[in-house]
Amino acid sequence: MAAFSLLRAFASKVNLPKNAINQGILVLRSNPNNALQVVRQMSEHRTMHIKPSRWSWNRFKDFMHFYIMLGAIPAALVITYINLFIGPARLAEIPEGYVPEAHEYFPHPITRWLAKHVHKSYQQEYELMCHHIYEIEYEQKLRQAENRIKQKMAEKQDTQAYYYQPVSSRYERSIRDNAQADLEISGSV
Amino acid sequence: MEDPPSLNDKSNSYVEFIKAVYRTVDRPVTWLREKVVVPNRPDNVYYHQKFRRVPTIDECYTDDRVCHFEAQQQFNRDKKVDGEIVQLVRQRYKECLIAEQPDHTRKCAKLQADFLKVSENFCMKYADLGPLNNVKDAYMKQKHRMLWERRHGKVGTGMKNQDAL
Repeated sequence: MAAFSLLRAFASKVNLPKNAINQGILVLRSNPNNALQVVRQMSEHRTMHIKPSRWSWNRFKDFMHFYIMLGAIPAALVITYINLFIGPARLAEIPEGYVPEAHEYFPHPITRWLAKHVHKSYQQEYELMCHHIYEIEYEQKLRQAENRIKQKMAEKQDTQAYYYQPVSSRYERSIRDNAQADLEISGSV
Repeated sequence: MEDPPSLNDKSNSYVEFIKAVYRTVDRPVTWLREKVVVPNRPDNVYYHQKFRRVPTIDECYTDDRVCHFEAQQQFNRDKKVDGEIVQLVRQRYKECLIAEQPDHTRKCAKLQADFLKVSENFCMKYADLGPLNNVKDAYMKQKHRMLWERRHGKVGTGMKNQDAL
């Protein structure tokens, strides 16, 4: 007898639709996929399948496919083909009077191709640097000479150079020519 | 002392069996390589690059920066070559040590002397100059060494008294 009253007390707390209507609690029902669903008293039986996000896992799979199928496997195939069917070069003495090209100093075919079509040769970079140093040194020497002259002029104070301001009319001529060209094109100043 | 035993000496059935197992894998692969792969390859050659000698740093004018650059590059190349020479001599000495292990002090003495001489010469020229390859620093090191030797005698015989100089 007391058991019935206990049952009645518990019945109001059980997760059933009839308790939800009056008290406004959420009714949770388990589905075959082992996830709990919120059941609202609506007409459809279709529900949203709540589960953790698989976005990271899918992105990981995408990256693995991209880098392996389009990166590692084609590279491995190409490199295997080159190593088997073209193979490294053999060392030989330089023939008399022959100047080998830059790419003929490397054994592996891929290094040879890069040396021929991509990279600048050692000699080219060396000579570029020599020329660069020559030009920089020339300008340095001109500036040093100018500074020595200025210092001597300041020491001795025996020239009229401090009265002379160098003037060039390059800019005035350019403005005049541009104004004339504008006049011819547009008909007015 | 007799040579160490090798597989080409008188053999027994066990050795023959091992050799036969090796041959079952080796023979087809070698045949394929020698008859199919290698004849179909283009015969490319590569050469060992030889560089012309350019004036060294002691033959350059003090304001000729291009000459300095060329001398520096030649110094870098020479340092690499000399390093490889030291490596070769060291490798020969090490191999002698390992091969002649109990008698190495007696049998590898000449190689040891050679290695010590070669590494001493290398260090005379290139060592203790800091991390960068500067040809002017190496040149100045040579000058200081010659001055020191003029004042005190050969390097390794100690400094003479300052008053006596």
